[in-house]
Amino acid sequence: MPHQSHPYHMVDPSPWPLAGAVAALLMTSGLAIWFHFHSVPLMALGTALLVLTVCQWWRDVVREGTFQGHHTPPVQKGLRYGMILFITSEVLFFLGFFWAFYHSSLAPTPELGGHWPPTGITALDPFEVPLLNTAVLLASGVTVTWAHHSIMEAKRKQAIQSLALTILLGAYFTFLQAMEYNEAPFTIADGVYGATFFVATGFHGLHVLIGSTFLAVCLLRQVRHHFTSNHHFGFEAAAWYWHFVDVVWLFLYISIYWWGS
Amino acid sequence: MYYRLNGVTQRLTGAPATAYNPQGLRPSVPPVSPPAIFASPTKLVSETGSQVEYLGANRVNEMQKFFQRADGVPVHLKRGLIDKLLYRTTMGLTVGGAIYCLVALYIAAQPGNK
Repeated sequence: MPHQSHPYHMVDPSPWPLAGAVAALLMTSGLAIWFHFHSVPLMALGTALLVLTVCQWWRDVVREGTFQGHHTPPVQKGLRYGMILFITSEVLFFLGFFWAFYHSSLAPTPELGGHWPPTGITALDPFEVPLLNTAVLLASGVTVTWAHHSIMEAKRKQAIQSLALTILLGAYFTFLQAMEYNEAPFTIADGVYGATFFVATGFHGLHVLIGSTFLAVCLLRQVRHHFTSNHHFGFEAAAWYWHFVDVVWLFLYISIYWWGS
Repeated sequence: MYYRLNGVTQRLTGAPATAYNPQGLRPSVPPVSPPAIFASPTKLVSETGSQVEYLGANRVNEMQKFFQRADGVPVHLKRGLIDKLLYRTTMGLTVGGAIYCLVALYIAAQPGNK
């Protein structure tokens, strides 16, 4: 952009932070209202507002970077730091749920029968669908790396195909996990086993959905020629996030599905 | 002249019987490297055949010109009507939602309602 003698990005005034904050307020208050009064409109309104906010906010980021040229190297460095710090905060978020799982499973109380899995719980066989899920996510890690190299080598068709394959693998994982949830012999209400299982894997599933959406946006941008061979940070951020999702699954699989069965 | 440091005695020793012979360098052959290729020649679009316009042409330049127009419009409204409509819907939900939320929380805080 002209008229500035520094490489930093002085953003235009934007309404999206306020809208996002109000969306968070509505979602959390709506959750409380749902719990106590069985009424969903407030929470639904918050969710709708969140979707509107993130779509417009990130649309603006694409406009500022790809179309207006604001993402100079120092700005990109800041974006990299930001994404890394965000992913770190997500790691800590999951750490809490792993703490809860290990707290209850390492020393099972007499009420649970003194063993893990507790009395009455038939754990899922870790070598059936969960193992397939592990293979699917690991394969998606390979395909997203393939996509990255294709972008760096300016191989448009390969980049589009490998990115599409990554998204398909993510969707396959989601489908398989939904089937597992449907057919599981225990529910979230089945004591501390059910609670730790479904909260940890449930939040992981939500992150798979978010990561798949991020990759889908990157696919759309790749088709529209937004990425160049040496400037494609949006894709890199999506790939980092996807690898994080994959690693969390590996920890879930080892801890809850395998060791915990 | 070629010296070597003996790591055990910490002393320099003179040239060993055979000269240092890095991999690939033969004593009698002068070192000649093949001509360096820095980049493959740029392919013309007409040469790429079926790769032309795979899933749509590159419109980024047009978008760049469009979004860089110096009209003072902030980026979130730059596309005109569609942006304005989305903005107004979002702000309507923001303000209305905030009021709805405060009313709901006020009602929920009343001792009679549980």
